[in-house]
Amino acid sequence: MPPTILIVALALLSAVLVAVVTFRPGLTLTRGGKILAFLVLFLLPVFVLAMGVDNQIERSKSTSFCLSCHVMEPFGQSLHADDPAYLAAAHFQNHRVPADQACYTCHTNYAMFGSFKAKLGGLRHIYVFYLTKPPAPENIRLHEPFHNRECLHCHLGARSFEQGAVHNADPDTLPAVKSNKLSCISSGCHETVHNVAHLKDVKMWNGAN
Amino acid sequence: MPIQSAIESRMKRAGVLLILGLLAESLCLLWSRPLAFVFLITFGGLFIFLGVAVYLLAIASPHPPTSASMDRTE
Repeated sequence: MPPTILIVALALLSAVLVAVVTFRPGLTLTRGGKILAFLVLFLLPVFVLAMGVDNQIERSKSTSFCLSCHVMEPFGQSLHADDPAYLAAAHFQNHRVPADQACYTCHTNYAMFGSFKAKLGGLRHIYVFYLTKPPAPENIRLHEPFHNRECLHCHLGARSFEQGAVHNADPDTLPAVKSNKLSCISSGCHETVHNVAHLKDVKMWNGAN
Repeated sequence: MPIQSAIESRMKRAGVLLILGLLAESLCLLWSRPLAFVFLITFGGLFIFLGVAVYLLAIASPHPPTSASMDRTE
């Protein structure tokens, strides 16, 4: 993805070219001028818009983007919990998910059109945040139960998952997890995910400095 | 209104819409907040879409033949 500043520069250059072609119509009288007008008034703006939308969609996957709404701040703090039981923190701190796309990696939907659905969900967040009274962070819930598919996207086939002692203590456990009948984050398993209501009691880890 | 100036006036309208759309897009790209995405689509996208549509309509709408083109066909 080209840097944002390049797309902005291209958009401004396009605006200047549009102004030249529009306000000096004499330019478009020749065949070459007509081709130039088509490029400047049709192809270039569509191209710049597509680049801009792509840039914004990519940016919306970043951890800093998700945490830019203040109700999400405690969820960002939970990534720094110095407690391996905190599932999100363990993934973030050990780079099991890309640190710069930590939220998106777990909260997107790895089914068909998953990215698109995740973005629609994001629009709903914007609606709730700006046009209604957002709930307190500890009262924020997922729209639907977390699907094991999102965990299995990485863990399926991994030795620690397939041959883990707890996973194999009961022969029914792994098939139930794989078919989403038993949630990975169900009680007694990996139930402490963000746990923002109890963060104030948890020691924080702020990187290997 | 002469044909040429009718096309020119439509192209000017398209140009103004496109400039507004491109400026809106530039501002939204420089603004790093979730709302920027919504503004990019609603303002940038809408103005650029309308600008392109007005331009395409301007060049695609049928024009009555000018005297010069009639001379050529005879």
